[in-house]
Amino acid sequence: MKENETILVVDDDRDFLEIIRRILKLKGYQVDTVSSAEEALSRLKERFYNAAILDISLPDVDGTELLSKIMETHPDIIAIMLTGHSSVQNAVQSLNCGAFAYLEKPVDPENLLSVISRGLERQHLLLENRQLMEELERHNRVANTLLSVSQAVSQSLDLQQIIDAALERVAECIGLEISFVYLHRNDKLMLMGHHGLSSRIAGSIPKESPKDSGTVGHIFSLGKPLIIEEMASHPEHDLEFLKSGGYRSFAGVPLMILGESMGVLGVATSFAHYFSPVNVELLTGIGREIAIAVRNAELYEEASSAKALRELDSMRTEFLANVSHELRTPLAVIKGSANSLLQPDVIFDEQTRREFLVSIDKDADTLTRLVDDLLMMSRLEADALQVNRKPHRIAEIMDSVKDRLESITIKHHLHISIPDSSPPVLADDIRIGEVLTNLVDNAVKFSDDNTTIRIEARRLGKEVIMSVADEGIGIPPELHDKVFERFFQGNGHKTSRRKGTGLGLSICRGIIEAHEGKIWVESRPGKGAKFSFSLPVA
Amino acid sequence: MDKKRIMIVDDDPAILRLLSTNLKARGYEVVTATDGEESLEAVQKDFVDLIILDLMMPKVDGVEVCRRIREWSDVPIIILSARGDENDKVKCLELGADDYLTKPFGIAELMARIKTAFRHRGDPSVAPAQSSFNYNGMEINFAKRRVTVDGKDITLTPTEYSLLQHLAVNSDKVLTHSMLLQSVWGNEYSSEKEYLRVFVGRLRRKLEPDPKNPRYIQTIPGVGYHLSAVK
Repeated sequence: MKENETILVVDDDRDFLEIIRRILKLKGYQVDTVSSAEEALSRLKERFYNAAILDISLPDVDGTELLSKIMETHPDIIAIMLTGHSSVQNAVQSLNCGAFAYLEKPVDPENLLSVISRGLERQHLLLENRQLMEELERHNRVANTLLSVSQAVSQSLDLQQIIDAALERVAECIGLEISFVYLHRNDKLMLMGHHGLSSRIAGSIPKESPKDSGTVGHIFSLGKPLIIEEMASHPEHDLEFLKSGGYRSFAGVPLMILGESMGVLGVATSFAHYFSPVNVELLTGIGREIAIAVRNAELYEEASSAKALRELDSMRTEFLANVSHELRTPLAVIKGSANSLLQPDVIFDEQTRREFLVSIDKDADTLTRLVDDLLMMSRLEADALQVNRKPHRIAEIMDSVKDRLESITIKHHLHISIPDSSPPVLADDIRIGEVLTNLVDNAVKFSDDNTTIRIEARRLGKEVIMSVADEGIGIPPELHDKVFERFFQGNGHKTSRRKGTGLGLSICRGIIEAHEGKIWVESRPGKGAKFSFSLPVA
Repeated sequence: MDKKRIMIVDDDPAILRLLSTNLKARGYEVVTATDGEESLEAVQKDFVDLIILDLMMPKVDGVEVCRRIREWSDVPIIILSARGDENDKVKCLELGADDYLTKPFGIAELMARIKTAFRHRGDPSVAPAQSSFNYNGMEINFAKRRVTVDGKDITLTPTEYSLLQHLAVNSDKVLTHSMLLQSVWGNEYSSEKEYLRVFVGRLRRKLEPDPKNPRYIQTIPGVGYHLSAVK
């Protein structure tokens, strides 16, 4: 230990210097001796001394003054003042200036050595303490950065938000210029985000990287951090964008969780030889935090897509149950009527036989309609509905369905008001005719005979709004969205009419949406219902 | 014999017309209702011998009608359903329906089921030779079709009573599932084990002090049931 400890002795008494040098050398210290303050200061500039022994009365400068100068530049040095017995006053002053001790001349060597040894011991403790404090501070900084990153990434379960928050926090906490993240996706490493790159450089960062070659690929596949101290001498091409941006040091860490590599975090600065093992340790910790957040987000995504699949599955089951119900109902009438005619135990009269046949006929039609609607429905759901959109005048579309509408509304008053000024719309006339027929059919179904059904058209900006209004039983507000759902059947329809398929409005919505329009209902119970839809002006 | 009166409850007018034409042609008197509420009112007003009930109806559905009627009446109920779902079937039977038919169905099949239901309702003249059955607190008076457990009157639906009577008359034998189904319901039911399971459950809930540890109707696993009479 002592071999490395250096002591500077300053005294104008050369004999004294020689004696002290020998004594100290004997004890294993490295000793330099000088006889003036000027020499002392220049020696101190050249190298580090653990201790200085200063005579208080020097030829060029007062020893106390020299002490002050030394303490200014070397606050940790152990200074021991040598005084004549007449200058105790100066000695006290020197203690105030930071000297460790003072000894009266003539100096007792034993005494000097023990003072030096105590002084150096104190210096050791001081330096050690300072190192510990620094270590502690560094740990604190690391912990704070990790905490900050961890908080930032745990705010969200959205993958992109996590990556962005992490990159921003890394830049903020460590003061790094550039950071980016690659994640393992479909057997490749995909760039998920970057921070600090100018738009010019950002354009040249590889969007994906192989998972077992290149700089990024190696960090990922080996699961180990990598430091590049000088980019210029780095042979791999995947970090070319950093070189061209003038960045000189790079550090990359794998995003590890439970021994599994999930991606790579890379950082860079424009200084060479920037990254130390301490930085890497911190970056590894950050990488772990990001990996945890990414895994959480992935698990959440998996769980929610599993839930969505389950919901879809139960909707499908319900749909099938509904279809089965809707098919069985008319089939029951057909089968029952035909079967009645086949029973050997009863002979029905002509009139009844005819009624059975009419039932069979009607419900066969219902079945056909249902099958048609189901096909239409499945086409709409597969986005496979052919909509042949051409400019058509509303009046033209109305004309093509007028006969049908009049036959449906035979017991109602049908009012059609289409202004001559109505602009042509971009529409498939046949499909829109189906929508109108469907809406009028519903209006008839849910209103009393001899009430009025109005069909109107008006222009609103770049759209034409068509509406079908009745004076029927109306729809409570909570059902205004529901009526457009598949198989929704309105209650309280007149019993004299046959049930619909429950698909009509759902199909109308599909057709209108295929026209980039909207369909909606305004109604209050008992006050009639007004169904409207919009079509773009041609 | 008086004309039997049958109520048909269905919201589909074509089904109502079809069934009433067929039932009238076979000598039944018919009343109809188009929803659950109407049917409940009608059942309370008019006496009916049997109800044919559609499961899916507006306002009060078939399951609920069945449950409410069972609160005060043991009139036989045949459920018609357009859903071929085994769960629905068990649910309806548990709630007290006597039979369950999936649409579409044949007329002959429906008529056979109506006959079965009426057979359960029972003609006192076909009561067993013995006048009563006594075992461990349970007494069945065959002539009066009356069942008591520890002196308390037990109300059974006709089908429940038929099953119990059959078990009691044959109390010295183990009755297999298909034997019970054929003799209580009819030949065409011989594979409908659900019916038997549900009705034995219903009987146990009404008769047994502890339905989980039955003292009357014993299950012979994989074979059938047995009403213990031997102490």
